[in-house]
Amino acid sequence: MSGAPVIEVDAIVTRFDAQTVHDGVSFSVPRGQIAALIGGSGSGKSVLLREIIGLHRPTSGRVRLLGTEVWSAPEEELAALRQRFGMLFQDGALFSSLTVAQNVATPLIEHARVPAHLLGPLVRLRIALAGLPVEAAIKMPSELSGGMRKRAAVARALALEPEVLFLDEPTSGLDPISARAFDRLLRFLCDDLGLTILVVTHDLDTLLGLVDRTIVLADGKVIADGPVKEVMRVDDPWLQSYFRVRTMLEGPEMNRGI
Amino acid sequence: MSASARDCWLEQVDGQATLFLAGAWNLPRIARIDAALAAAGIPASALVLDGAALTTLDTAAALALLRRIDGIGASVARLANFGVSHLRVIEAVLGRLGDIGVEAPRLRHRWLAVLGMQVLEFRGLMLGHLDFLGRSAIALGDAALRPRALRLKELAAQFHHVCVEAIPVVVLVTFLIGVVLAYLFGMQAEKYGANIFVVDGVAIGTTRELSPIIVAVIVAGRSGAAFTAQLGTMVLTEEIDAIRTLGLSPMQVLVIPRLLALVIALPLLVFVGDVSSMLGAMTIANPLLDITPATFIDRVHWGLRLEHVIVGLVKSAVFAVFIAIIGCRMGMSVSRDSRSIGISTTSTVVQCIVAVILLDAFFAIVFQELGY
Repeated sequence: MSGAPVIEVDAIVTRFDAQTVHDGVSFSVPRGQIAALIGGSGSGKSVLLREIIGLHRPTSGRVRLLGTEVWSAPEEELAALRQRFGMLFQDGALFSSLTVAQNVATPLIEHARVPAHLLGPLVRLRIALAGLPVEAAIKMPSELSGGMRKRAAVARALALEPEVLFLDEPTSGLDPISARAFDRLLRFLCDDLGLTILVVTHDLDTLLGLVDRTIVLADGKVIADGPVKEVMRVDDPWLQSYFRVRTMLEGPEMNRGI
Repeated sequence: MSASARDCWLEQVDGQATLFLAGAWNLPRIARIDAALAAAGIPASALVLDGAALTTLDTAAALALLRRIDGIGASVARLANFGVSHLRVIEAVLGRLGDIGVEAPRLRHRWLAVLGMQVLEFRGLMLGHLDFLGRSAIALGDAALRPRALRLKELAAQFHHVCVEAIPVVVLVTFLIGVVLAYLFGMQAEKYGANIFVVDGVAIGTTRELSPIIVAVIVAGRSGAAFTAQLGTMVLTEEIDAIRTLGLSPMQVLVIPRLLALVIALPLLVFVGDVSSMLGAMTIANPLLDITPATFIDRVHWGLRLEHVIVGLVKSAVFAVFIAIIGCRMGMSVSRDSRSIGISTTSTVVQCIVAVILLDAFFAIVFQELGY
């Protein structure tokens, strides 16, 4: 698990009219790592994610994903690239007129030449890998709970055996137990299937329990980058108050500095 | 295919069947891998799998391998020379093989059951409309008793959308209908030298029947569909629940303004359509039938009784009630997924048009019996 970084973001600048969201954001993620992107509301985490996967063009700067220049590569190269990463949108973005199994089968039918007798088992394997019971396959997205919907979306994102998985606030709206189960799913995908994962999150437990590395976005820049224990020590007012919520809950340091 | 390009082959090593895997075993090559597995001649016995020459192995290829072995009745005795990451992939698939073997049964209904369900669905739909009509009447009574409950601003905004913005399309369509009617009647009437009766025909036909029907169909497509889509989206984004939670009544805030706006707007639009269609007929009557505008207007005075116009306007007010009730109710009752908004909107337009035509047939008989 070595070689060139999977995700390279270089000097990204994003402006909406007069408002500058990113002012030179740079970082890279090596293969086989789970990296988290955190920052306050409006710090441009989701926009950055959309810029990395080619949905929103940055004002300037470069994005390299799996060795491909996302914003200057020819269309055929981008089409090939899109089959090598998966994206989990905030609410799952499942196709509401298709069953879960049909949702998962859609990219397989479009992009892979899977023998007919393997298609059904392969779809069900994806659903099982995402941690859903097999009965969920024939359900419509509207019949699923929030947690199951996210897992179904993971199953669809995994359909084409991606090397990279992007997730936009995967545990928001989930209860803590489902959220931790979801974290374990991501750990399994990273460790056992070798995926590289970039996750935008607000969930402190995800940060502390799951990720290898935390990238903090504030004022349009990366203000901290490293293992969460190091990031916690960075002297920044926003970061300090962010982690203080946690120390308050933990108890022992309850009386300090409040 | 040369030996070096083989994906897998079988060898007997110390009397033990061993399946050697080689190269890239991944999703893009899945069809080839599946064919190679089928051609390998795997015996129905315990196998050793050797992964020394594997470069990649993903879950799709592992699934193809394990299902093939399972299907033949063979088993895996031992995994030899696999890389750690490949072993993990195989374990991940192996652990789930039991879950994915059977396809979950899918519910299928016979035609009789489908027919029965549709009848019940239709009954539910009609009862739902009736219920909604009743609740609208109660809310309307409420608004009549407490005029402050009436949202005048919303009513004005809806009136603008439903009536003022619809005038151009109504004028255009009814004008053309007037032209076409006068032309067709004129062709026949000319044969008998009865040109002037074209005016009677067009005037009575449009004010009594065509203008109400056509304007109602236009409004059903414009406003009925819009009501369903607007309210349906509000259900989806939980706005309706928010209105309820804030102690407001969705009926008062959303439905009554739309209902009243439409009941006021439709007769007005029909009147616009009456005038416009006669203008259309007048425009073509002059060159085609030698009826000057002055003669035309004079003849309308003489030949068109006021009852015809009033019948058309009264009918249209009733059409408006049905269009508004169907449109709002279908919007309020969408289920919580985006697909159902499309289905409900389509259904609204179909229901409104059918309702308008049925009502019109009903009115034709009733007004006949009443002698209008």
